[in-house]
Amino acid sequence: MQVNSKTVEFDKDGFMTDPSLWDEKVASAIAADEGIDNLSETHWRIVNFIREYWKEHDLAPPVRLICKELGVGVRDLYKLFTSGPARGACRVAGLPKPDGCV
Amino acid sequence: MSERDTDGARIAEKACETLAGSIRGLAAYHLNACVRCGLCAETCHVYQGEPVPENHPGAKVAKVAGYYRKYHTLLGKYAPRFVGAKDLTLQLLDELIETVYGRCTACGRCGIHCSVGLDVAAVIQTGRNVLAAVGKVPEGLQRTVDNQIETGNQMAVPPEELLSTAEWLADDLKVEMGDDDASVYVNQKGKRALYLVNPREVKFFPLSLMAAAGVFHAAGESWTISSKVYDVTNYGFFSGDAQSAAELTRRVVEEAKALAVEEIILSECGHGYRSFRWEGPNWVREEYPVRVRSVLELLDEYIVTGRIKVDPTKNDERVTLHDPCNLVRHGGLSEPQRRVLRAVTRDFVEMTPNRQDNFCCGGGGGMLSMSEYGDRRIASGRVKADQIRATGAKIVATPCHNCADQLLELSKRYDLGVEIRAVVELVYSSLC
Repeated sequence: MQVNSKTVEFDKDGFMTDPSLWDEKVASAIAADEGIDNLSETHWRIVNFIREYWKEHDLAPPVRLICKELGVGVRDLYKLFTSGPARGACRVAGLPKPDGCV
Repeated sequence: MSERDTDGARIAEKACETLAGSIRGLAAYHLNACVRCGLCAETCHVYQGEPVPENHPGAKVAKVAGYYRKYHTLLGKYAPRFVGAKDLTLQLLDELIETVYGRCTACGRCGIHCSVGLDVAAVIQTGRNVLAAVGKVPEGLQRTVDNQIETGNQMAVPPEELLSTAEWLADDLKVEMGDDDASVYVNQKGKRALYLVNPREVKFFPLSLMAAAGVFHAAGESWTISSKVYDVTNYGFFSGDAQSAAELTRRVVEEAKALAVEEIILSECGHGYRSFRWEGPNWVREEYPVRVRSVLELLDEYIVTGRIKVDPTKNDERVTLHDPCNLVRHGGLSEPQRRVLRAVTRDFVEMTPNRQDNFCCGGGGGMLSMSEYGDRRIASGRVKADQIRATGAKIVATPCHNCADQLLELSKRYDLGVEIRAVVELVYSSLC
């Protein structure tokens, strides 16, 4: 995918192969692929939270933390990211694919 | 001899030993029985999605069988060991990896249509056993097995996280049900049932766990989760590593004894049901000390006996059901989920074909954990996407979290616009 002057590559699950290339424009481009044309303020808060958590722990945060820390209702989260927190939100946040049944 | 060749010879020798150990009468029949009639081609979702010769079920059997024959050459009286070591190269192993992990979900559909009754999925599993024994399991799949063995669950969710999530869900549940007694029980000794869940429910999709807790509460069930041993999945089964599979099974049995439960209830999970209920006793070589059922059987019992009251008009939209291969074709459990869905939804329609003749979603056999085959996974889901579209359903219920992930992605890629739900979620939302 070409974002501005950057070439960003993805694995066959659509997750970034080099998460260090992530920026807000890349996030918007992935979001568009998710069917989210405009990332709302709540989307951004979730994406940034996931990204910060991942930088610190090298893991995607559990849904509980996202909801509690940001005051987002659990049912609302799946409306914001219809592919769910892993294939939706984590992907937009530029994380590599989490292991296992996701 | 170069280093690579020496390495190849060593790996090949080990593969031979494994094959020798895993081939018994019936398996030898399956490896030699294919008559190349070709009828299986169209029964396979991978072949339908990408009709190339390598995806033909007969070709996949031939790949594993060729390996078996080489082994016989190796042990033949005219062929000393080093001849085989030359033949069995790393390149052949690489082709075998792609065949048994990347071109087949071991869904078993071709087997039920086979003109000579060849169990193709079992042949593929034989190939996986060999590769697991020589350390040639695809990385993403192996990491998932390692996570499970090392941390107790396939997504490496720490026990404290399970406890915190249970508390959080319990708080929400009390509010939703308007009942302060509703709860998510963890590590309670002497309850009737030990409930195993998919770590995906804890980490990313907790609504099904919350729904189960809500339904258990409505039924007055006595139940608990264990924060130490709660994973219903068994990725050793997928990778072909019987030792790990046995270890994971044994841990559950020991925990059930420690918590003194009467029954183990398995959350909605295709391979989890098959591996724990049917394969497990063979791995651990003992009879389970307690009864084992799928949560679907329990939900069915609650509704049939009137233990919970449900109102189908609360699920007003059209609902269809996807049958997970490991639960239905391999596991033999097809009716409880249908009785439940007919009771809790107003407009339930079957997709065609269904039950034992269902098509795999494309994400089975551990495929979702192997990104390298992602394109093929989506292509092989086309047949399922077409089936779903033909029903006109708005909601696809599926009693498997692995299928759920694949179906969610199929909905997006094939523009189906459907919601994916666990059966227990629809039961919860129908509670009176």
